[in-house]
Amino acid sequence: MGGELRYEIEQNAYIKLVLHALKHKTSAVNGVLLGRFSGEDTSNPVVEVVDSVPLFHSQIGLLPPLEIALIMIEEYYASQGLSIVGYFHANERFDDFELGNVAKNIGDHINRYFPQAALLLLDNKKLEALAKGKDRNPVMQLYTKDATRSWKLVGSGGGNQLSIKEPSANILLLDYISSEKWQDIADFDNHLDDISK
Amino acid sequence: MVSKTEEEQVNRLENQVDNEGGGAWEYLCLVRKLKLRRSDKVLKHGLEILNNPKKRSALGPDEVARTVASYIATTLSFGSHHRARDVCCLKAGHVFGNLHESNDISGTCRLEAMLVEAKGSWAEAEKAYISLLEDNPFDQIILKRKAALAKAQGNISGAIEGLNKYLETFMADHDAWRELCEIYVSLQMYKQAAFCYEELILSQPTIPLYHLAYADVSGFSMLLASEFVPTAAICEILIIFLPVFLPAGGRKEFLSRTREGQTLDGLPGSAYAPVSLPSKTSLKLNVAATQLKEVLYTLGGLENIQAAKKYYASTIDLTGGKNTRALLGICLCTSAVGQLTKGRNKEDKDSPELQHLVAAALEKDYKKRAPSKLSLLSSTLRSLKLSS
Repeated sequence: MGGELRYEIEQNAYIKLVLHALKHKTSAVNGVLLGRFSGEDTSNPVVEVVDSVPLFHSQIGLLPPLEIALIMIEEYYASQGLSIVGYFHANERFDDFELGNVAKNIGDHINRYFPQAALLLLDNKKLEALAKGKDRNPVMQLYTKDATRSWKLVGSGGGNQLSIKEPSANILLLDYISSEKWQDIADFDNHLDDISK
Repeated sequence: MVSKTEEEQVNRLENQVDNEGGGAWEYLCLVRKLKLRRSDKVLKHGLEILNNPKKRSALGPDEVARTVASYIATTLSFGSHHRARDVCCLKAGHVFGNLHESNDISGTCRLEAMLVEAKGSWAEAEKAYISLLEDNPFDQIILKRKAALAKAQGNISGAIEGLNKYLETFMADHDAWRELCEIYVSLQMYKQAAFCYEELILSQPTIPLYHLAYADVSGFSMLLASEFVPTAAICEILIIFLPVFLPAGGRKEFLSRTREGQTLDGLPGSAYAPVSLPSKTSLKLNVAATQLKEVLYTLGGLENIQAAKKYYASTIDLTGGKNTRALLGICLCTSAVGQLTKGRNKEDKDSPELQHLVAAALEKDYKKRAPSKLSLLSSTLRSLKLSS
């Protein structure tokens, strides 16, 4: 495998995750990334994150709802040819940049079936700065599993390994934030409370 | 916890107020009474009321004081401490100055301390709280704020300690128990979380949420204790996720391979190598045995899952069969029990009727309310039955 592994996240998936985190500002949230791995034989291997499913905003550490969610997600997306390629987590506290145990455990498991799995952590500071600057980079930190079997932060110097497919995604995100579009986001927790969502 | 009618009432008032239909005052009262968190709405409407002298005078002085206090607290929780400070200076001093009860004087000091906390000056806030506690060592709000302060600083063990001390004195504070539960769950200290839920269920046995959460925690997470966090957690998750991630064909193959490859000394560390992964039963044996020690092997895991099943059933009882999480929980339990009792004498096998009833109830519900998702549900149920 030549070239560095890149991760590309589509606008839809990206915005969904950030809006979900904004909807539940006071708690930790998590979500699952779906996509495919392409170009593994070429010099430009890319993990494309095509879609995402926001999971929970309360009691994240509990297994039963997580298990049900993953079964359903796997079934649904298998028909579209997509599989679980990563996990997203946003911490409860603004200045908490540590990858918690729950996130690591779930990430470890996804990694077992997809070694290039990505773990994305919401970067609250970048999110706050978004409104001021015209940054095109995603407001998330990317973690991947390295040879020492631990999750390492990737691309802290330029973020060129994680990119958003559509460059105007951040602008669209800002628009959505100001129009409070996050009200429309329904995560798995919402579904379990009211299955019509 | 709010009842459905109360929630509907709040939503109705919220709509009314948002569309300029009046009734802002009733809305604010209700939100305050039910202790809901609707920071942005309260901010907007509260400010309207407070700034409008006509409306203000329509309320009695006590009400004004209470409104101002709750408004300030809300603005602090929302993060706009500048606004809180302004309101504090202008209104609070004027309003509280007219009242001579000692409660309200401490109320102002409390609000000031909260203002300092909201600004992020942790040390000063802590000093302020400590001095307030000297005057009134049993001030519930201050004690809780101290724990919240620790949590905000990232000192989770400090927060746990604070909450525990608080709960020794004020054992009936459900919100505090719930907060403690959530902290324990986030730290994967499931035994402690289960204990907290037990307390909650004992004091409020008719709230289905606690039964549900207890079932979630005890059935599936009981075998994870904090001392085992990295390895046992992975094993436990692997146990449960195994059937999920493998494609249908590979599933059977993988399971049969592992059943042969089982080793009772399949220590957690070896779980990293998939080929030598011990079978589900023996791994549960291992984790249970090393942790619980006194409990018989599979019975340990089995008992907890059966206990969880009972609590899911009680949740369904309390909610009249409408709680989706509990119904799904029972499906999970049954399939987990099936996995554990496979290969043993089926003396304790539960009747399959429960599983059928639950599946039928779920399907009916989905058909009625979310027909587009019905096929997804059916395939999920099928895969759970397959793995049992």
